[in-house]
Amino acid sequence: MHAQHHRELSKRSMRILLPAVIAMPLLFGCSTTARIEPYKATDAVLEAGDGVVILARRHHSTHEAEQDFIDCIAESLAGGKQEIVVHDSTEFEDTLYPWFEPSTAPLNMVDMSELLDRPAVAERVKDTGVRFLVWLDGSTDRVASGGSITCAAGIGGAGCMGLAWWEDDSRYDAAVWDIADLSHSGTIHTDVRGRSVMPAVVIPFPFIARPQAKACRGLTDQLEQFLTTPTGYGAGPEEIG
Amino acid sequence: MAPKRNSLRISVLSAAAFSVAACTSAVVIESEFPTPLVDTLPIAIGLYYDPELRNFIHAEALPRSSTWTIDLGDANLAMLDPLYGTMFATTRQISELPPSPLELTDVDGILSSTLNVYQFDVPRSTRDEFVEVWLQYRLQLIEPNGSTVIEWDVEGYGKAEIDGNREDAVQRASIVAMREAGARISTQFVQQPAVSDWLKEIEDARSTSQGA
Repeated sequence: MHAQHHRELSKRSMRILLPAVIAMPLLFGCSTTARIEPYKATDAVLEAGDGVVILARRHHSTHEAEQDFIDCIAESLAGGKQEIVVHDSTEFEDTLYPWFEPSTAPLNMVDMSELLDRPAVAERVKDTGVRFLVWLDGSTDRVASGGSITCAAGIGGAGCMGLAWWEDDSRYDAAVWDIADLSHSGTIHTDVRGRSVMPAVVIPFPFIARPQAKACRGLTDQLEQFLTTPTGYGAGPEEIG
Repeated sequence: MAPKRNSLRISVLSAAAFSVAACTSAVVIESEFPTPLVDTLPIAIGLYYDPELRNFIHAEALPRSSTWTIDLGDANLAMLDPLYGTMFATTRQISELPPSPLELTDVDGILSSTLNVYQFDVPRSTRDEFVEVWLQYRLQLIEPNGSTVIEWDVEGYGKAEIDGNREDAVQRASIVAMREAGARISTQFVQQPAVSDWLKEIEDARSTSQGA
């Protein structure tokens, strides 16, 4: 009798709590907002036989673009509609060692020009077929978090109750250098913020936003256009809700 | 009673051994280092690798963390040997310092390498995402007559994202730091005033002997 009453109570509470759990992310907002600002200064585009390499800016002590983000951009560009030839960044750095290490990598076009004045370096770059260098600078960081979840266990079972949330910000700048023209072709700025929520009613229900994955998709789309569209590109910032 | 005491002792020792083993992180730095794309200097150099450099193991007990042993011995040679092989027209290994007269035959100088400092930081907090490594090689360029041309400290710094495994991050950060030091050695060696003066002296002496 007592067990049946307990089951009835559980059923009733689940009927109330389940819709609440589903509604919580909508109310508290498991959401992502993105802002992408492309700027292209030239009409240069990839031609037959030209390749691209994606490199991380690694001279900052505070942050560094994550390797999986670099890989995501490189793989997405190579596998995209335009089938852009993307060179492996580690292989490129090894081939041109020691000129693309954190302390020796060119920071601007003047440095790049001086580096290419070395015949051996210029020859090696030419051999790779790389026309555009894409320097990625930025990182994904936790910018806010709050709430709490309490879990307890007893003889009758275990469960959690509460709500936790956190917000991650993926900010990346992609600076595109044209080696053939020795010019800075332009920059694409990407800022994607994602708020994740995890309500817990007996068990936690994670609703996770993935701003880094969205930044990768957004930046890849923009880079693809940047490298293949000569004109009519870079009209202004694009906002995605 | 005795067997009981023995089994208790074995249990305690096993537990202690297990806890010590569980709190020790051992890393052997292994990598293939690329050959540098630099101009080769037209000189013959005798290379002396200090035994400490060849067998370098850094051991450190981090407070409120585990004990680390990091073996860089083989990696030091894997990085420096091809580097010097490209930087200098001819290289030959020297077994001891000061070298024997036979080892001094046909060399313009001797370059001794030691690893002076190795420091690393593994964050305890989950918010810190990077392992950092800082190391310093000391190079000493010695003339065949025994006088020192230059003593040069070369630093390398590396950091690596902790992607689940801290040992792996220490490995990657160490390799970045070593590559960084190698980049400095290969690009800045000739820029050292004492080295450029010494190279000029060698060049002048060769011109004079050719003229005579």
